[in-house]
Amino acid sequence: MIAALFVNPVNLSPTSQLWLMLPLFLSAAIVHKTIRTGNLRRLWRDVAFLFTVYMIGGTIVLALVLWLVMTHWPSR
Amino acid sequence: MARRKKPYRPNPPLTLLLAWLIPGAGHVCIGRPLRGVIIFLVICATFWAGVGIGGVMTVDPRAAGAERWWFVSEMLAGVHGIVGWQRQERVYRKVTSDLPDSIGPFNRAEAESRRVYAVNKALADKGLALVYPTDVVARAYAGIAGLLNLLCMFDATALAMMGTFGEPSRKRKTGTEEG
Repeated sequence: MIAALFVNPVNLSPTSQLWLMLPLFLSAAIVHKTIRTGNLRRLWRDVAFLFTVYMIGGTIVLALVLWLVMTHWPSR
Repeated sequence: MARRKKPYRPNPPLTLLLAWLIPGAGHVCIGRPLRGVIIFLVICATFWAGVGIGGVMTVDPRAAGAERWWFVSEMLAGVHGIVGWQRQERVYRKVTSDLPDSIGPFNRAEAESRRVYAVNKALADKGLALVYPTDVVARAYAGIAGLLNLLCMFDATALAMMGTFGEPSRKRKTGTEEG
């Protein structure tokens, strides 16, 4: 079954791709903070901050801005 | 009189090569093994999550148009990208071995486009073809794993060029902060 998992694609719904952004954000946050942090003891705290505030928060703000632009864009 | 031991200076080209080939190995080279292990685990998990979602055709050097850039970024994941590519090649050869070499009395361009169509149909029949939205997610995972490794390659090589070895020295805490 595991071998088939890495051969055949999984069927995803279009909405699931939004949720699948979260693990990708987490990967980027961990790698970024692993190379940037001066003290590895603070790594997970820094990752949590980057992941929640910058990545998830930033995505929500961006989504809101784009939604507002799409909704209130002056039509001709 | 005792001779002072020369401080170890990492070799930048070797660091770059190792950092590409095995994600995290560049950081091990510059004396930061824990960071190297974290980088290896995260990049490995991200890349193979992409291949797990998209299957063997995720790493596809024959992808058309802009999709080809994903292949370039997947190759930045070093050994993971190479293994993914070789798996794809093996499956692709197996699928296309049943197809005829020339299709009908057409000119070269027409015959090529018909062959591409036949290959895509054969892949779809075997349930291997990548379709929306799975292709987007799978290639984003595998490609971003490669791009994250590029970031680590730059970091490790830059530190090696500066002659840095080991973890950065921490500033000593003063007064009441010390616990």
